[in-house]
Amino acid sequence: MKKISVLVYLAKRLGLYAFTIWGAFTIAFMFFHLVPGDPIGAYVRSMEQRGRQIPDAQVLVENYRKMMGLDGNLLQQYLHYLDNVILHFNLGPSFIGFPTPAEKHIFLALPWTVGLLGISTIIAWVLGFILGGIVGWRRDSLFSRVMTNLSLIVSQIPPYFIALALLFTFSYTLVWLPRRGAFDAAIPKGFTWEFIKSVIRYGTLPALSLVLFSMFGWLISTRSIVVSILGEDYLIYARAKGLPEGRILRSYVLRNAMLPQVTGLAMSLGFVLNGALLVEMLFNYPGLGSLFRDTIGLLDYNTVQGIMLMSIVTVLTATLLIDLLLPLVDPRVARESKS
Amino acid sequence: MGIRALFSQSKLLGVGIGILLFLILIALLQPLINQALIGNVNPVSMGSFTPYEDPSPQHWLGTDRWGRDWLAQLVLGLRYSLVIGALSGGVATFIAILIGFVAGYKGGAWDGSLRTFTDMILVIPSWPILVTLAAYIQGLSIPVMALLLAAFSWPFGMRTIRAQVLSLRAQPYVDLAIVSNLKDLEIIFQELMPNLLPFLGVALASTTVGAIFAETGLELIGLGPGGDIITLGLMVNFSLSWGALALGKVELIFPPVICLILIFVSLNLINMGLEQVFNPRLKRITGG
Repeated sequence: MKKISVLVYLAKRLGLYAFTIWGAFTIAFMFFHLVPGDPIGAYVRSMEQRGRQIPDAQVLVENYRKMMGLDGNLLQQYLHYLDNVILHFNLGPSFIGFPTPAEKHIFLALPWTVGLLGISTIIAWVLGFILGGIVGWRRDSLFSRVMTNLSLIVSQIPPYFIALALLFTFSYTLVWLPRRGAFDAAIPKGFTWEFIKSVIRYGTLPALSLVLFSMFGWLISTRSIVVSILGEDYLIYARAKGLPEGRILRSYVLRNAMLPQVTGLAMSLGFVLNGALLVEMLFNYPGLGSLFRDTIGLLDYNTVQGIMLMSIVTVLTATLLIDLLLPLVDPRVARESKS
Repeated sequence: MGIRALFSQSKLLGVGIGILLFLILIALLQPLINQALIGNVNPVSMGSFTPYEDPSPQHWLGTDRWGRDWLAQLVLGLRYSLVIGALSGGVATFIAILIGFVAGYKGGAWDGSLRTFTDMILVIPSWPILVTLAAYIQGLSIPVMALLLAAFSWPFGMRTIRAQVLSLRAQPYVDLAIVSNLKDLEIIFQELMPNLLPFLGVALASTTVGAIFAETGLELIGLGPGGDIITLGLMVNFSLSWGALALGKVELIFPPVICLILIFVSLNLINMGLEQVFNPRLKRITGG
């Protein structure tokens, strides 16, 4: 009985994942082909605006159209697009590094973004969850009140602004930490301790910006969940059993707070990615954010679209993975999905 | 509920509204303020003063790279940022009301599919999509930009509306109205709407925060209405591109940042305050 309900849950979830990805890709396709401002034309126009005459612009445009699969009617383009992008991961050549395929740039940048995002999110969630639990458990202590007020303020400052403050303090004024890049270029790449230390050092400020922003948000939400749990009957039962306070906090209170918070984590990833991309831009961190900034100025259609799609796929996949772990966190999830 | 009673019930609401009104006041008085600061000079016209001047009694925040008084631009930028935010927030709330209402009132399959649709939009990272659209749409005017921003911020308000419609719909007086043969639309306007108003306020505040967040994200990369329209996000972008961080010219970077933070904080406080007052269960939970 239990096995079947878990399988049903998994199947539903995977189905939703596939459907959402297909939906996102289709909507992206529609935006770019129906919105006035065809990409090739836009590029040619922007070149002409900068004073570059393009002889035989028409021929050029036609050639590019063929190469990027923009010829043919809408349905043909759509099928061509789906085939290329989903089946072959082929996004076409990029403008900035022609004829290097766009996906090559993207796959080079992706690990940095995923690493930054992943590490900051996990640290922020874990710290925020634990601190939120403590602060909710002992609401009246000075520590709790200070932390709550601090969290209310910091969680409302966008990560980009936190990054600005950190950058100014630690890179420009105190010169303790580097201000751009992901690693020291002088150190040869590899899994050496030297290189890893450098990666950590360069990644500290970007990660810290994201962590500070998210952590205080998690603190507040965990706190309010814990406070609402405090009135539950099973706590009276636990106390009547004579269990120590610490055990009650861990096994009864936090355990029940985990499910909504893990769900919330999945929902927040898109938002955190937004912040991460902007922070990357500020620090020139070689992830998708900096790549995006470089290519959007040049209207490098293929890469831009690729980054957009890659961001969506990354978030949806991470959300899927978290949702797949949910039955482990709380078995009730799989049971309830039957109704 | 009387206004005075409202404020006495929630400090957060009072503080939030206070800050917001203060900012709105500055934005409304912008022409007068700038008249007082720099006379008849257009704040955005270049070369009005010497560039890169340090803060002085004539220019409290100094001047920028193009010789424009920074404080005057701050006031103007605040006005434009608030206008764009309010416009997008309004449109987004309208969409949220439509969708939230249908989901809450009809229930069933309508509710399920609309909720899934809303969740999908919330999960997807909006910034890359917004930037891409903004870059490719030629001639981004304020109304078009407001529409774009609204398209991604309405989900923030939809949940509140839906939750309230659901709980209100279950109230006995709705059944009474249905039994007395009032049409659906009459029920909506005469019975449900008045009770929904404070939550419309919550939805409006939430969507406006989302919209201004998104707008700032666009401006930080330099994509906005452009031209003579200066916003707080654009000011941050400009000052960074002029190397203000390296030059140590904090008076250029941090004032627009602080203004933006004040806008976010005030709207969020209003949100929290409204929920405290009108959602008594929540009041017990947040420990007020």
